Amino acid sequence: MNEVLDLLTLMIPAMVPFVLAAEGTILSGRAGIFNVSQEGMMVLGAAVGFLVSWTVGSNVVGLLAALGMGAIFGVVIGYMTTFLRLDQFVVGLALYFGALGLAALLYREVVGVTLEPPLIETLRDVPIPLLSQIPVIGEIFFEQDLVVYFTFVLAFVLWWFMYRTNAGMKFRSVGENPKAADSLGIPVVRTRMWAAIAGSALMCMAGAYLPMVYTGTFTEGMVGGRGWLVIALAFLGGWRPHYVVAGAAFFAAMEVLALRAQVAGIGIPHQFVLMLPFVATLVVMMFAFRWSRQPAFLGRNYDRESRM
Amino acid sequence: MSTVETPTPARNAPAPPPGPAARAGGWVSTALPFVGAVVAAFLVGGLIILLLGYDPVRAFDAVLTTSFSSRFGIVETLHKTVPILLCAYAFAIPLATGKFNIGAEGQLLVGATGGVALGILWSDLPMVVLLPCVLVAGALAGTLWSGIAAFLMIRFRVNEILSTVLLNFVSFQLIDYVASHVWPDRGAGHPATVVVGDGARLPGLGERPAMHTGVLIAVVLAVVVAFWMNRTASGFELRAVGANPRAAMVHGVRTSRMAGAGMLVGGAVAGLAGAIEVAGVHGRMLEGMQSNFLILGIIVGLMARGSMVALPFIAFGIAVLEVGASAMQRTAQVPVEIVLIIEALILLFLLLTDVVRHRLRRAAQ
Repeated sequence: MNEVLDLLTLMIPAMVPFVLAAEGTILSGRAGIFNVSQEGMMVLGAAVGFLVSWTVGSNVVGLLAALGMGAIFGVVIGYMTTFLRLDQFVVGLALYFGALGLAALLYREVVGVTLEPPLIETLRDVPIPLLSQIPVIGEIFFEQDLVVYFTFVLAFVLWWFMYRTNAGMKFRSVGENPKAADSLGIPVVRTRMWAAIAGSALMCMAGAYLPMVYTGTFTEGMVGGRGWLVIALAFLGGWRPHYVVAGAAFFAAMEVLALRAQVAGIGIPHQFVLMLPFVATLVVMMFAFRWSRQPAFLGRNYDRESRM
Repeated sequence: MSTVETPTPARNAPAPPPGPAARAGGWVSTALPFVGAVVAAFLVGGLIILLLGYDPVRAFDAVLTTSFSSRFGIVETLHKTVPILLCAYAFAIPLATGKFNIGAEGQLLVGATGGVALGILWSDLPMVVLLPCVLVAGALAGTLWSGIAAFLMIRFRVNEILSTVLLNFVSFQLIDYVASHVWPDRGAGHPATVVVGDGARLPGLGERPAMHTGVLIAVVLAVVVAFWMNRTASGFELRAVGANPRAAMVHGVRTSRMAGAGMLVGGAVAGLAGAIEVAGVHGRMLEGMQSNFLILGIIVGLMARGSMVALPFIAFGIAVLEVGASAMQRTAQVPVEIVLIIEALILLFLLLTDVVRHRLRRAAQ
């Protein structure tokens, strides 16, 4: 029982980067912009978040700086795909490379080569009064750091916005049929720009959370493919904010179990244990693509003048 | 975009068919945007270097001249060109059918595994037998790896970007296992396999430092690919699927089969790159041998915009930048990452020239 409790308590923070980045992906995708630079955004976010926290000494400032950096990249991808109508995948890949280079460059410029890596404080747990008193559930859900609460509230807010408000329906219509949306006076380009900006910002913030919760240091490999898994997660969750949280639980469980199995040493070479999340994702995708649907205009650019 | 049949012409923007205006200009109108993009990227890169407090002139001097200033530089550049070129094909050939293969890295590593397995197991065989076996095994292993993605794409409609990337991460663990459990070299101090037999090594050309003959294989391959894609029926069908899937289907091309075939060929080429790296450069398989060939291959493939003739030259240019990058860090202390940023900028500016050309044409009308 205690073992299970421990795993669940570890799983919740492990879900956070997945949920944040996937909500960012969905936010862009629901307006029709398929951003494929998650991995790059997360590495860059980790670098910026770490470096700012290290120089300023405050994790909150680090998270905000990562949000800002993501927003800048969001402006670039938004401008290039809505105004210039360049291919979304190509722009996304180019930004992925650029972000990787920029992340490594920033770290090298600010920290340089050191014998001992600089450390930042990891986020402190903030138990919520009363709720954390609930046996079992309180321990798992309400004795976490602030970003965890933010993430789950954000997921709820996004669901409520998209499926329970009029503005949300208009927002979704941009990703389904921009021509119809445009004819009803919904500002397609402006919606897409904001979606791209907010989406990239969330991806960057997801990256910034990693050094703040796990090691307190930054390494280039620390994102380790999570960005790509997030794309899988978006498809798996059918581009819906609430399903994505459930999907993230699956990915987080994989991660925590792989780590635990490695520590426990269960006779299987650890390489095969580390493969598990990726293989499991592939297997799940085989079935997910049958039932999951996606925004009809996902990955395509809208040209008001064209006759489509 | 997850479906194989969905006609999404917008996805093929990197390879726009040359319009009548572009054809009339010929060489100049093709080369001009390219030169412009490179110059603009270097200007912005120079600005960044200046802002960071280094000397851009010294940095670019090192980047551009290192490859040509010594025999060692030339050989090093050619050796780097081979995997970059082959990984670029691994990306560009599936792209011709409209599919994104982001898995060249994994295919290269699995190809290297296939090559090294034969090189170690049959290490006594003479070169005439063993070397072709190693290269073919590499290509086959690469095909197998991309075949998984192709199968998932056709049978289960799994998005190919996803499956190829996820297979990369599986392959990292796979080669780590091979290098630390199956044929480990304990003395290497880094996960690596034992050395392959002498018969599995590509012979060198010229005096030291010798150039390995994998370069010649790459040259032959470049000619074959250019001929195949531009001058044969199957190459044309492949490109037709990417250019207009519906039209291709109406004319009897089996679109999803062609898309799968493109992936398989891409994987074979990447796998061959892995085998050449084993047989020509390292003589063994070691962790991290994929370097950043995936990213460079994608950059080259996107820059070539569907032209299989331009692709080898661009790959050579990128290899020059890569060899120059480490020299730049040594002599001018500028971080190597600048070069990756410059490469990404070249790509973005190249895309922007499309917009500029489009606007100019509209203004002229």
